Amino acid sequence: MPPEDSVDRAPARATRWLGLLVLLAAMPVAAAERIASLNLCLDQLLLDWVDHRRIVSVTWLSANEHYRRAPLPDHVTLNRGRAEELLSLSPDLVLAGQFGAGRAAARLQELGMRVVIIPDAYNLAQLQEQLQALGTELGESAELLHQARRLERILQQPVPGEPVSAMILSANNITYGSGMLEHELLERAGFRNLAAGTAEGAGEQLRRVMLEEVIAAEPQLLVLYGGEQAFALAHLAARHPVIRRYVDSGRVFTLPAELGFCPALVAADVLEALKQKRESLVR
Amino acid sequence: MFDNNKIALGLLAGALPLALVAALLSGPVNIDFAAALQQGWRSENSDAVILWQLRLPRALLAILVGAALGMGGAAMQGMLRNPLAEPALLGVSSGAALAAILLLYYGLAWQSGWWLPLLAIGGAFIAVLSVWLLAGRGASASRLVLAGVAINAFLSALMALALNYAPSMFAMQEIVFWLLGSLANRGWDQLLLALPFILAGGLLLFASRNYLRALTLGEATAVSLGFGGRRYPLALLLGIAAAVGAAVAVAGTIGFIGLVVPHLVRPLVRQDPARLLWASALCGALLLLMADIFVLNFVGAQELRIGAVTAFLGAPFFFWLIVSARRGGAL
Repeated sequence: MPPEDSVDRAPARATRWLGLLVLLAAMPVAAAERIASLNLCLDQLLLDWVDHRRIVSVTWLSANEHYRRAPLPDHVTLNRGRAEELLSLSPDLVLAGQFGAGRAAARLQELGMRVVIIPDAYNLAQLQEQLQALGTELGESAELLHQARRLERILQQPVPGEPVSAMILSANNITYGSGMLEHELLERAGFRNLAAGTAEGAGEQLRRVMLEEVIAAEPQLLVLYGGEQAFALAHLAARHPVIRRYVDSGRVFTLPAELGFCPALVAADVLEALKQKRESLVR
Repeated sequence: MFDNNKIALGLLAGALPLALVAALLSGPVNIDFAAALQQGWRSENSDAVILWQLRLPRALLAILVGAALGMGGAAMQGMLRNPLAEPALLGVSSGAALAAILLLYYGLAWQSGWWLPLLAIGGAFIAVLSVWLLAGRGASASRLVLAGVAINAFLSALMALALNYAPSMFAMQEIVFWLLGSLANRGWDQLLLALPFILAGGLLLFASRNYLRALTLGEATAVSLGFGGRRYPLALLLGIAAAVGAAVAVAGTIGFIGLVVPHLVRPLVRQDPARLLWASALCGALLLLMADIFVLNFVGAQELRIGAVTAFLGAPFFFWLIVSARRGGAL
């Protein structure tokens, strides 16, 4: 997607963000006071952005070192996505994701609990919808408001001209096409994603790429996905000696693992860091 | 007849460099081969990097691993005097893979260095020793296969268990690699890691060639010919373990090469178990390289595991072996 398009759509986006801010500012006062989550990303957003006294339960995955970003308070119960676990806690709001724990969410709803499905985000527009939905449910949250404003401010900035070529190489030789949030972040930061493809229908989603395709494409920036450092053959490509040339010349950017499972947490940070990286490359 | 066999072996030897060139030309990217070749391996040009740093080590690794598996299979069949003996089928590869998994996922991970092939060789040695001891001397085909299958099943289950509890998000999916093998994303580092051990294993097997010849006359006759004592079988077992273990440590368990290849070339060496060793190494190298060329050209980045391709070749051959055994009354 050429950067001009993004500039054209900027006013529409700005209006949407403005709408979100107005909505956040005019939140209903009677916000939920006992919140439970059935989704890992929502767990992290709650723990990061909401007063911990309002949280009664998050999923067991949030206790995992790999996913935990915010400290886990002692009083918060860990659930494994089962309805019976949440029933005894009697939350006044249960947040669930679009996928996963669907059965438990439906059961709780049948039993009269207030269950709200927060949509997942695979691009910046969906991220906006996700924050909007969260804002509606969580009420006044200074941190949520701050994050929404920050993202809005970054997105309103013009896309830097003359794109720098980039390519993502994730675990298992996966690269990200034009339909993905990672692609959108790259483009907004002034990069041209070489895996986006030009043919119609091609390069829209995830696809596998062989190392020699990465070398032949000669991206100016190689983007790796960070996260766990435990041994896995899935990371073999990123540790191949031919990639070392990129590492040695500082032409590597590592996306945080959170972007994969909860983009709302880090999208603004990533966008800012990518812009800085672009600056350092064109200088 | 002898001349024809020599010509056939000569053709196999001649086909290997041709297959190597074909492998260097195979891949999703069209490179200027001549220019890349000329630029040399230190060049920063992308075509040269693809040729020298990606395709060449992968092709050479296919040759090395194929040779190790072919030779290992020939040595196992000669030692156990059984046409069904094969490193992957009888658990030798699983033993090596289990040791490699324990080291990589629970131990030294990326910094494993020489420990990786050494421990894999240890695992392979224990497995091949277990098969040898469990089946007993002069074991029948069925007893040997039973012992091998039992050990293989046990070790495969341990591999799955070890990966299940490994602290890596990808550990479960990587069972597929360890069970089917892969040459993707391999470089000079893996090649150089396996090379000395596979060479050492090959030398040990080569040194045991006369023992293998004597064994064709039966164990008692071999002893009467001066091959008594434990050092001969132990040297042979160590040779198999070194070659197969080092190959598995870098490329996973690639099946059927060790089974099919000795059968294919045995007529060409007039059933001589000593000459079968190097002929199997040559044919194994060629077969695995061809399988990798197939993977690169027809499967590409989707990366069908190379073990699946060799199994495609191996399974029909196994059927043929069974059918011919039924016709002939014995294997």
